[in-house]
Amino acid sequence: MDSYDVIVIGTGAGGGMTIKTLCEAGLKVCALNAGRQLDPAKDFRQHKQPYDLKFRSFDSPARRKISIGYMDSEYVSPDVWEHDIAYSTAPGTSWTWPRCNGVGGKTNFWGRSAARMGDIDFKAASRDGCDVDWPVSYADMAPYYTRVEEFIGVASTIQNRPSNPDGHYLPAMKFRCMDYIIEAGAKKSGIPYLPDRMAQLTEAHNEHPACHYCGNCTEGCDVGAFFSSPYFLLPKAHETGNFELRTNAIARQILVDSDGRAKGVAYVERNTRREVEVYAKAVVAAASCVSTAQIMLNSRSRQWPTGIANSSGQLGRNLCDHLYGTAGYGYLPQLLGQPSFPDNVSSATIAWLPRWQNLDNPKQEKFIRGYSFYPGGGCDVFPYYSEDIEGFGASYKAEIKRRYPTPVNFTTQAPSQRSDKNFVDVDPEKRDIFGTPQIRIHFEWDDNTLKMWEHSCQSCEELFHNMGGVFQGRSEPESPGWSLHETGTCRMGDDPKKFVTNRFGQAHDVPNLYCADASVFLNCTDKTTTLSVLAFSLRTAEYIVQQFKAGQHTSVAPRQG
Amino acid sequence: MAGQAPSRRELLQALTLAGLASTFCGFSRWSYALAEEVDPHHHQDAPVQIAHAAYTPQFFSPHEYRTVEVLADLILPATEDGSHQLQPGAKQAGVAEFIDFMVSSDPSLQPQFRDGLAWLDKASEPAGFAALSREQPNALLERLAYKAKHRESEKTGQQFFRLFRKYTVMGFYTSRIGLESLDYPGLKFYGASPGCTHEGNPEHIGL
Repeated sequence: MDSYDVIVIGTGAGGGMTIKTLCEAGLKVCALNAGRQLDPAKDFRQHKQPYDLKFRSFDSPARRKISIGYMDSEYVSPDVWEHDIAYSTAPGTSWTWPRCNGVGGKTNFWGRSAARMGDIDFKAASRDGCDVDWPVSYADMAPYYTRVEEFIGVASTIQNRPSNPDGHYLPAMKFRCMDYIIEAGAKKSGIPYLPDRMAQLTEAHNEHPACHYCGNCTEGCDVGAFFSSPYFLLPKAHETGNFELRTNAIARQILVDSDGRAKGVAYVERNTRREVEVYAKAVVAAASCVSTAQIMLNSRSRQWPTGIANSSGQLGRNLCDHLYGTAGYGYLPQLLGQPSFPDNVSSATIAWLPRWQNLDNPKQEKFIRGYSFYPGGGCDVFPYYSEDIEGFGASYKAEIKRRYPTPVNFTTQAPSQRSDKNFVDVDPEKRDIFGTPQIRIHFEWDDNTLKMWEHSCQSCEELFHNMGGVFQGRSEPESPGWSLHETGTCRMGDDPKKFVTNRFGQAHDVPNLYCADASVFLNCTDKTTTLSVLAFSLRTAEYIVQQFKAGQHTSVAPRQG
Repeated sequence: MAGQAPSRRELLQALTLAGLASTFCGFSRWSYALAEEVDPHHHQDAPVQIAHAAYTPQFFSPHEYRTVEVLADLILPATEDGSHQLQPGAKQAGVAEFIDFMVSSDPSLQPQFRDGLAWLDKASEPAGFAALSREQPNALLERLAYKAKHRESEKTGQQFFRLFRKYTVMGFYTSRIGLESLDYPGLKFYGASPGCTHEGNPEHIGL
């Protein structure tokens, strides 16, 4: 069997960036991906009208039974979302976990909001005394953010906000009618309303076409007009000739040599359920936060009886997530009876309300840190609001039409804080159909996060009032897991007794093992994770290249070309 | 920029294709295409002609189906717009066929629909709901549709009406006719980010 320089587990944002960087540096990489290669022409149906789908987008009863919700719908092939790798939850934990294990992972469908984190995030502990600072500063990360933005293309504006460092941007998308109305209301509320940082191409960029604003991005883009690993990263790796991709290869265990160093990975072939071993000089876990922890916790050996690189006991601990919920929904009477506006194509958030709490004084509110809001609404593909209108007949039909351009809603994105109660471990009894011990999730929202949620509900109701909207209600917070923004489990820090990885994502205990996903993050922030996963994994990958060049991973000389 | 132009072209072809999809023998008024049935290499083929055959219900009895047709059309009837143009309703959009398809493919819905239709007939004795003359069904439906007119003894009817109205809306507004009636702006190509056109009126007052 071939031996590789590096095995990378996962091909999403972190894995994809690592693979590209290592291959371009001449290292020979084998990537293991738990699912199959997706074919946008067949697997994504985002350019189909509802009447071109058998169940008109409402899914067959059989599909509805297994659907995890979210984008697991008739618009994508059923096996695009993971249904076979089981996980368990501790009593009292509700965890909804839509996993895309197709090549490219969640980047195929992500929300595309791409704001930089800043020192207000990295040094938050110094400001409010809670938990610990990240082992990096914004000055360390800024160059990586810039390179990532220039590579993937992010549309936004320079905003000079203390919570949101500005970056290098393509022209922002234009505000729609509802954005101007909300903006005017937000001004009265004294809260910001600004163009989001959208990784969606407003002009052709680096050989990728500009967005055509069809509005169904969350069912997958088949022209690659927003960043995804299969469109942006993996082709660059293939071009080098140094990349081998093994699909339907479910990583089970990181193998170690007699010194306890990584020597390869054992994986299960999804279709044959056969176990295969592959060897390399270094291993990168980028399977996404919880799955990375599962693989490492299941990597038990004489040297690592509780999981590889777990001398700190912190492996799988410190799980954080974003609380998502609709803090308010209703409609804008200003737009009643207006013609349908193409400017209400509603898939992109286009604008957001970035964190405005606890900026000058970190303890101004009843909670620490802060949350952000995303607006939604406009002329959707289906008039869901029709349920809220009484009646039938001509008047009912007319009211559905009159209300069509008016719906509006706000999603709260509130980060949980580190807690001893939130972690993953290996289920002592249950195994999945591949024979692998299941990961077990322990999670509940902490008080601070619930206070943010309460605050966001009040802010939202006030905003509805100030923008002249009609407030109709709010949802309960979604289950944890729903946001797909889980962080922690392999946190980075300088002290090997307290952290699994160092500031470069390298395992303290096992120098040829790295983590390159959000598992290394200290916590969630009010920003989304993908842009930071890209920036951190780029930095980690370049560090790995340096280590190879320095002979740290008993490397053969980097290959030519 | 290599791959860009062809892929844009292909995309346009795919969009054109969407409305010309193959038909399913069961339906007379609406068609769909399963993605796997659409062969991307045959964009140039002539569109499949959609046959307007008489529809045979898959789940409902002929009498029940007649009631489904009448009720769906009362909920979303054809209407006239301001310039006396006919705006099609449930009948033209084939909503009854959609409901029959959805109910026939989901056994868990079947008792609710069967019992609900029976309830409607019982409440319209002796002729049955579908045979009521024009004003009579409206009086009954108003009692089911408006909270202020609800009767304690008609809970079953109210619940069924809500369910039936939901499926009528689902069927109508996912049909081509329904989406066109809303002028759904998505799934089209825009050369640039479409923006608000109400310059100088950010609050959109008095549109």
